[in-house]
Amino acid sequence: MNHRGRDRRGPSNSLRALALCTVLALVIAACGSSRRSGNTTGNTGASTPGGTTPIIDTSNCPAGQDSVGVSGNTITLGTSLPESGLYAPFTAILKGERSYFSYLNAQGGVEVPKGSGKKYQIKLVDKDDAYDAARTVTNVNSLINDTKVFSLFNVVGTKNNLGARDTVNSDCVPDLLIASGAVQWGNTKFPWMLGSELVPYPLEVRVFVDYLKKNKPNAKIAVLKANDDFGQSYADTLTELIKGTNLTIVQTQGYDPESSDVKSAVTSLAATNADAFLLGATLLACPNALTAMGDAGWKPIVYMSGTCVSKLLLGAAGKNADGLLTVTPLVDPADPGNASLPAMQLYMQQVKKYSDADATDGIVAYGWTTAALMARILENSPKLTRSSVMETARNFKDGTGIGLELPGATWDTSATDWFLGETFQLITYDATAGHTKKLGPLVNLDGKTAELSPQSLLHS
Amino acid sequence: MTSRRRLQMIGLAASIVALVVLSLIPHLTSATDTQRWAQALYIGMAAMGLNILTGYNGQVSIGHGAFFGLGAYTSALLMHQHGWQFLPTLLVSAPLCFVVGVLIGFPALRVKGLYLALVTLGLAVLFPDLTKHFVHVTGGTNLVALNRTELEPPQWVPTWLSAIGRDDQWAYYVTFALTVVLVIATYLMVRSRFGRALIAVRDHEAAAETVGINAARVKVLAFGLSALYAGLAGSCSVLVDHLANADKVQTFQLSIKFLVAVVIGGAATVIGPLIGAGVIVGLQWFISEVLPRHVGSVGILKRTLGNPAASPAIFGILLILFVFVMPDGIVGGLRRFWTRLMSGRSGAPPPTPAPLTT
Amino acid sequence: MSLFLTQLMNGIGNGAIYASLALALVLIYRTTGILNFAQGEMALYSTYLFWYFTDRGMPVIVAILLTVVLSFIGGAMIERVVIRPVENSSPLVLVIVTIGMFLALNSIVQVQFGSDIKTNLPRAYPRHVWRPGDVQISTDTLVLVGVLILECLVLYLLFQHTKLGLAFRAVSSNPESSRLSGVPAGRMLMLGWALAAALGALAGCLVIPTLGLQASSMQSILVFSFAAAALGGFDSPVGAVVGGLIVGVAQSLTTQYIKSLSDIVLVVPFALILIVLMVRPQGLFGTRRVERV
Repeated sequence: MNHRGRDRRGPSNSLRALALCTVLALVIAACGSSRRSGNTTGNTGASTPGGTTPIIDTSNCPAGQDSVGVSGNTITLGTSLPESGLYAPFTAILKGERSYFSYLNAQGGVEVPKGSGKKYQIKLVDKDDAYDAARTVTNVNSLINDTKVFSLFNVVGTKNNLGARDTVNSDCVPDLLIASGAVQWGNTKFPWMLGSELVPYPLEVRVFVDYLKKNKPNAKIAVLKANDDFGQSYADTLTELIKGTNLTIVQTQGYDPESSDVKSAVTSLAATNADAFLLGATLLACPNALTAMGDAGWKPIVYMSGTCVSKLLLGAAGKNADGLLTVTPLVDPADPGNASLPAMQLYMQQVKKYSDADATDGIVAYGWTTAALMARILENSPKLTRSSVMETARNFKDGTGIGLELPGATWDTSATDWFLGETFQLITYDATAGHTKKLGPLVNLDGKTAELSPQSLLHS
Repeated sequence: MTSRRRLQMIGLAASIVALVVLSLIPHLTSATDTQRWAQALYIGMAAMGLNILTGYNGQVSIGHGAFFGLGAYTSALLMHQHGWQFLPTLLVSAPLCFVVGVLIGFPALRVKGLYLALVTLGLAVLFPDLTKHFVHVTGGTNLVALNRTELEPPQWVPTWLSAIGRDDQWAYYVTFALTVVLVIATYLMVRSRFGRALIAVRDHEAAAETVGINAARVKVLAFGLSALYAGLAGSCSVLVDHLANADKVQTFQLSIKFLVAVVIGGAATVIGPLIGAGVIVGLQWFISEVLPRHVGSVGILKRTLGNPAASPAIFGILLILFVFVMPDGIVGGLRRFWTRLMSGRSGAPPPTPAPLTT
Repeated sequence: MSLFLTQLMNGIGNGAIYASLALALVLIYRTTGILNFAQGEMALYSTYLFWYFTDRGMPVIVAILLTVVLSFIGGAMIERVVIRPVENSSPLVLVIVTIGMFLALNSIVQVQFGSDIKTNLPRAYPRHVWRPGDVQISTDTLVLVGVLILECLVLYLLFQHTKLGLAFRAVSSNPESSRLSGVPAGRMLMLGWALAAALGALAGCLVIPTLGLQASSMQSILVFSFAAAALGGFDSPVGAVVGGLIVGVAQSLTTQYIKSLSDIVLVVPFALILIVLMVRPQGLFGTRRVERV
């Protein structure tokens, strides 16, 4: 009884130990112990004799689970996303992912490690969660225990992944390329999670604040935010970043994310006649807010969340969207000017071949690119084990030319940098041309996400 | 033996079989399926509570997802932020939900029928906003996700029902035990003076008052009790699903699920809501897990039956067909079938309408 | 002051939307005695039809008329096929049937028309915004209010000044005795559902182009319409209109003047309902039901 009781108390201590080790590992890594990527001797956690210090401590991982999900020449990945209900439009992401993996499998598969000649087919198992965090957790457990996936891939939603946070970190299952730009994936207590190439929301705010400091240093800012963690992260980051500047927030209005009616809220914001307008909104609330802004005759400098960048939504706002600022981590498939890029041609051709999706839709392009990024991480991994792949993802280098990644951009991570999508393009919308235009050179905020994030979100 | 007596014997036998089967579930199925059974049980618990209010007392609520959420958040926050064991949290969440239920019950003394249903709907849509306003826990969101260590059973629990983590037997057995307790409590309550008062007030409030029933007290108590059941169900959901969460869509859909479980199981029957909950969870499993695998790749079938986006449509249509066939629910339908069977066999007079209570 | 008036106009515009749908709810309540949870999704389906027609090049006005006519027929069919078989069951069963339709219709539009957002719905009128003395008035608001007035007028004329309306009123106030006196009650019930579906379709075709179309478009509107109908009284068309306008205006004024509630805007309409119903349990304009011992 006593003995068992102690056993049961064990994990709590070991979790603390894990956290401590992680922190230690980070400190050591930060203190200049350089780690070469693509190391063929394999850095699989504590078991690696000598050599480099791994970022992830695997000493508390369950034994014998490290290569689950690889059988013969097939790697099984699992994902959970809303395929039914009000958020079903996200299904388009899955179409992009499937197109890429089908294309890759037709080429023979992914070679792990690169240069070894050993190729694997990728099988992606999807489960519908209707955007309900409880169902996501059930799906994740089932994918790990029943389907026996090697890794989770691009599971959609912030709360949905947060719900599974303890499971994936205790079971040591990679939760890779989470489809959310939230900053919570920078929490160093949970090393088995990594966000995708989406621009972390605080970086968007940083770009906007920088722009204002240069062009309108005394600007009064009005904020519209969705009443959820997504909208809140824009509002909180802005509050943090304007400290010590001459920028001020004049008013913040929330809107119900289940509705897209923002007219009264924007009318109220417009009445302040603020110089700048931060739009921490998504989907139809974006064009509706821009229309309401136009109706009020209000002409602020507008920054709109990068999640709204789509031909459809911007087109709906029409001339009211003209000149707004936003960012994108990808080449816009809706812009005919990009049609000649080889990456774009491949994308267009394969999506048409393997799915019924609208290839000009940015969300399909996101699915395609994230799948390509996953394949690249697998390729770079010295061994086909969960710990090795996660370690590779945590120390990802030279992430260029992946899917529809912007030419010249690099996605990478390191022991001190837990975010991928930190190089991106500031863009502006040209209503007359009907598509977005680049504004200046690529923005590189590599390694900056953690320090720009509201600490309350990063550590809770 | 009379028909009624024989029915009782069959009922008893069926209950014993059900108890045995249900207590073996975690040993017979995978962790995922065990979790699914536990979900059916906690939805059933909440539906039993709603049944006290709606089935026995005639007050419709489409807002019980809010009480469920209140119970869930109470347990989850006590466990996650104050290091409580699960079982003691019930001593807080149950009374809390009862009190809130009673408070909501007071307006119900004046507001009736559809108007009351609308007020409770307001509760369901407001609750998620309130949690967003006041709760900032996991990752700073209104989600409260529990760690594996926090979900562990206390030390006195024998190993064979506490293999936490992989298969969540502890979560299942706690939910199961509470369900059994609530079934017995409901059974006794329905037969008590209070149970008869519930029905009397439902059937004719003014008449009930003339025979000395304090209708106001009965109705407010019914609200409080049903909220208590829903709150306990919410608490159990924390153990089963490892989190407490509220979103407008989910809270509303939960409220609807409880009501559906009551109606398709059999309103104003003790065990009906539990069976209804089992049917709902089973159907959803069938539609989202089994159907897509068996429709093959035939174009039109794959695009409809095999399409996840169509699963709510399949569920909705089956629901409608179900109430066409069994408008008085599964328990009511079975009872009708039994009466017909018995009257056919013994040549008794044509069946009389089934009594309203079990 | 101009800001107050602008928010008032915003509120009236939204209120007109809620009122249109609340009118449909009242029609169905008066004929079938149930709360139709599927009202919003019926309108949603109609709006997707409207999108489908215009997307394939049909002129807007023709598409609206066709959608309204098809919805009228569809509403009658729903009553005949889905509601009639459970007509005499308990109200709970009827609630479950409308919930079933709610779930089914929302999912069917996604399967049939695709789950992506549609933003290319044309307006039936040119969009313009006037700003007399800084008060914003848009054609959207004017059209919505105009259509609401038109709907009220048509319903009034139909019910108060035609034989059909008389029969309809007879059935909704006392189905048994009107059946005995030879009024075709079944057909009247079909008419109630058909009219409700047509009203919802008209509202959808005019409102959704201002908001964009997606599967969730109608759900938050329906919640406010429920609130409006409860506030005004479920059996009162006048109540539905007044209730809708009150809810709309309360919502926009809360947004403007009670900033601390900006993330829980729904509190105000529901608090309002609770207060009104505590004083008048039958709603502002509803009739009280007398119960005898």
